[in-house]
Amino acid sequence: MHGLKKNKVRVAGSYIYLTILALLAVFPLLWIIVSSFKSNNEMNKFPTSFFPKELTMRNYNLVFEELKFGNNMLNSLIVSFASTVLTVVIAALGAYAVVRFFPKFGKLLTQGLILAYMLPTILLAVPYSITLGQVGLLNTRIGLIIIYLSFSVPYALWLLVGFFKTVPIQIEEAASVDGANKFQIFVTVVLPIVAPGIVAVAIYTFINTWNEFLYSLVLINSRDKMTVAVALQSLQGQEILDWGVMMAASTVVVIPSVIFFMCIQKFIAGGLAAGSDK
Amino acid sequence: MKKKTKQYLTMALAITMGVGLLQGCKNNDTPKPTNPSEVQTEGSSKETQSSREEADTKLSGDVTFWHSFSQGPRLETIQKAADAFTEANPDVHMTIETFSWADFYTKWTTGLASKNVPDLSTALPNHVVEMIDVEAIKPLDDLIDRIGRDRFAKAPLEEMTVDGKCYAVPLYSHAQVMWYRKDLLEKYDLEVPTTWDELYDAATKITKGENGAVYGCSVPLGTNDMMATRYLNFYVRTAGSRLLNDDNTANLTSPEVIDGINYWVKMYKENSPKDSINFNVLDQATMYYNGTNAFDFNSGFHIGGVQTNSPDLLDQISCAPMPTVKKGDEQKGVETSNIPMVVWESSDTQDVSEAFIEFMYQPEYYIPFLRSVPVGMLPALPEIAEEKEFLEDETIKKFQREMEVISKAVGEGTAIGYENGPVPEAGLLISQGIIENMFQDIIINDVPVEEAAKAAEDKLNEQFKSLS
Amino acid sequence: MKIRKKKKSPGTVLFILPTVLLFVLLLLYPVLSSVFYSFTNKHLIKTRLDMVAFENYASVLRDKEYWNALLTSSKWTLICLAGQFLIGFTAALSLERIKHGRTLFRTLLIVPWAFPTIIIALVWKYLLNGVSGFIPNLLLKLNWVSAAPQFLSNKDLVFPTLVFINVWFGFPLIMVNVLSALQTVPKELYEAARIDGAKSGQQFFYITMPQINPVITLLLILRTVWIFNNFDLIYLITGGGPAGLTKTVSIYAYEVGWGLKSLGRSSAVSILSLIFLTIVIVILLQLQKKTNKNE
Repeated sequence: MHGLKKNKVRVAGSYIYLTILALLAVFPLLWIIVSSFKSNNEMNKFPTSFFPKELTMRNYNLVFEELKFGNNMLNSLIVSFASTVLTVVIAALGAYAVVRFFPKFGKLLTQGLILAYMLPTILLAVPYSITLGQVGLLNTRIGLIIIYLSFSVPYALWLLVGFFKTVPIQIEEAASVDGANKFQIFVTVVLPIVAPGIVAVAIYTFINTWNEFLYSLVLINSRDKMTVAVALQSLQGQEILDWGVMMAASTVVVIPSVIFFMCIQKFIAGGLAAGSDK
Repeated sequence: MKKKTKQYLTMALAITMGVGLLQGCKNNDTPKPTNPSEVQTEGSSKETQSSREEADTKLSGDVTFWHSFSQGPRLETIQKAADAFTEANPDVHMTIETFSWADFYTKWTTGLASKNVPDLSTALPNHVVEMIDVEAIKPLDDLIDRIGRDRFAKAPLEEMTVDGKCYAVPLYSHAQVMWYRKDLLEKYDLEVPTTWDELYDAATKITKGENGAVYGCSVPLGTNDMMATRYLNFYVRTAGSRLLNDDNTANLTSPEVIDGINYWVKMYKENSPKDSINFNVLDQATMYYNGTNAFDFNSGFHIGGVQTNSPDLLDQISCAPMPTVKKGDEQKGVETSNIPMVVWESSDTQDVSEAFIEFMYQPEYYIPFLRSVPVGMLPALPEIAEEKEFLEDETIKKFQREMEVISKAVGEGTAIGYENGPVPEAGLLISQGIIENMFQDIIINDVPVEEAAKAAEDKLNEQFKSLS
Repeated sequence: MKIRKKKKSPGTVLFILPTVLLFVLLLLYPVLSSVFYSFTNKHLIKTRLDMVAFENYASVLRDKEYWNALLTSSKWTLICLAGQFLIGFTAALSLERIKHGRTLFRTLLIVPWAFPTIIIALVWKYLLNGVSGFIPNLLLKLNWVSAAPQFLSNKDLVFPTLVFINVWFGFPLIMVNVLSALQTVPKELYEAARIDGAKSGQQFFYITMPQINPVITLLLILRTVWIFNNFDLIYLITGGGPAGLTKTVSIYAYEVGWGLKSLGRSSAVSILSLIFLTIVIVILLQLQKKTNKNE
């Protein structure tokens, strides 16, 4: 009896704790959204009240029509999506090879990749822009996508190695007896087993590339190729700052990610756990 | 077609005028072309014909133009000028790319390493000296002469001149002045301060009276900006000293500078929100926008900022010249920013870039550009300030008095550290956050002012050594 | 083992080729160039390039500010990690415990993860502003404080405030991963423990922890690198101030590399960080191996 009561208290405590955390987690987002519908006059009134007295769409009109944020979002989508696909393909092939074919060399390679991952982007931005300039890929989305591989592949490969280690080798042996070649085995037997890991890695990659800022700033010149993170930053750098527009733009950047999270969180949850090497 | 011809003529005439000015009318108040129609009627001399042909054969190629007017009407007016220019020169193709100033700095510094710089760009005065230092931009004296050297205010040209060569053409100017709130002055029965002490007293009165709702004078000291250096420079310059010695070493320990540091520390402690220790320009301006700061230092851009963010406050703001140390001293402007255009050394279409700069100064493009941030951007060609078309802008009319205050200050100030011409030390003076850090050290760690000032001075001097 | 030997054939190279190419083209060159630059006086925009041997390293290591920054970075990394893990863990355990609204809570708690750093900095700076900020004014209205707290400038508050923001942003990732790790722990283990009369605390340390240990190590390493290297969050909020209280190695490197434009010296700073991080990670991995053996 005693234990049951204690358990009830614990459950109640958990609800309280989670409610507080949830409020803290969501409050800034709510605040941005609510502010984005306020007129500038109201937003800059002090003291600030949370709820707007009247709603305005002015900020959103400016964000989409004048600043063409829709275009920037499209760029971010293209770049993030392409980098994610490439990352997953390269890292999955690589991780499988590391686990199955080249364990010694693979270990060295993974360590090298991690080491490179530890260098700050600020330091790498300059050599990358030089290299891209030489091959004529500066100020192109393709160039940016390639550079994004530099930080997403190490991360992805590292996680995926763990997942591939969980694949029982017997299954592959059975398939190879049936006459399948290595690539067929990889695609039809191995990949389905590590699918949750692949999805998790894809999601991490997508988020990291979606929020990336410095490379995008240094490597892209044209406004019509800029990603949202840079477009947002440049709003803040204006001599005449417009708080309302900034709030609307922030909302526009965050909301898709939140929706994305809601849709895929089932998959993230399947993520690292299965793959961590035990 | 007709429009095109007109543009050719306008441009050709501008060139002719420039040459003419150079040759003989130096001290002469030559009537300037005031509007396009006037230009057209004059444009039929032989000389015009020849330069027109010259322009015809010469101008072709791709020009990449980077500028920092990345939104709103400013972006549009530049775009219009560029469109007109390419229409007049069909062989020219212009690519315009825009960045905020901070991003722009990152772009061109990394761009130099990867040979990814524009053909033509705008620049901040403190960047110009760095660009000259690494031979990234070309001298533009010929172009300036063509446009008419005498048509420009003198100081902005001198500010861009190294070893007798001028590397940039000023596009517009603005100057830092003291902004105040008329309603608050009235409420507390205060006069507009003319000395630093008066400012302190007025600010104190407002801070006390408003009890946290409004601060008298926010002092921004964040290390990710150069605001503290700017504020210190105000005081030091009006006290007759400079932050750089004549041998371009740092000066933070002369009596005037120590006074200035003490002044702002006192102001911070009494009349500024504690958070302003981390403020950058944006945080600082926002306080004035939302009505929580009574006295602020900024340029005419403040009008646009208030108009955008707090239209209700627009009737309550006004500005006055920089305070002085001694009562009765002449109130002179301290910090002027002359924003120029520069042509990049690595470009192979420099002639096109120069032609475009010249094109921009025609009243039909130049005035709308200036009017896109009324009072914020003051003409680099003083003659424009007299133009009816410029003066009839609503905001300019409304803030006529303020514009006069700012215009006067523009003529008197320089960029920080540029009092004796452009020196690279001035760049480090503002980019390293050393002065900001000094203020923070004094306030947070109670380091004695002289000691902190000496340490910061030594540090600056050590960093100056890296320049050679 | 047998299989591996037998199957090695030219075809297998194709699997690893893209990764190797990427490594050589995208990582080896810039990393080596950074190492090389760290021994030169390379300037960001000037063309000079002279070998200076260990001068950059010496000048960095002689600089008291560097050591302060390293200390701040270590403190920052350690405390933020602890905070992220503490909140992430407790949130995950609480989610495990409740029956209703689990998905709802999980969705809400994940929201901070979706914020780009620029917006995190912007929104928290605005909310915490000591004059017009919503939170200080709310506290004031509730009479919890007598004067509006200056979260971002008070020397005792600024560091904890930044840690709070970092934890706010970082805990969802930990939470989600711990949550999924918890689901892989076989339920029978708990049953058995309960029969043996183990308290829930004991269950946690003797069953849960060892089971999810590998995930934790992986997360720990990734987060350590990320937090240690993270530059923009602090820079955008305090710029390293006030009075250098929040100046980390990344901000130090930024000032050297972009303010002074001494690419040589900033490379040296980064290489030193790389060495430092490598040591930390090797220690972490050793610790993990040890705990695994102890099981």
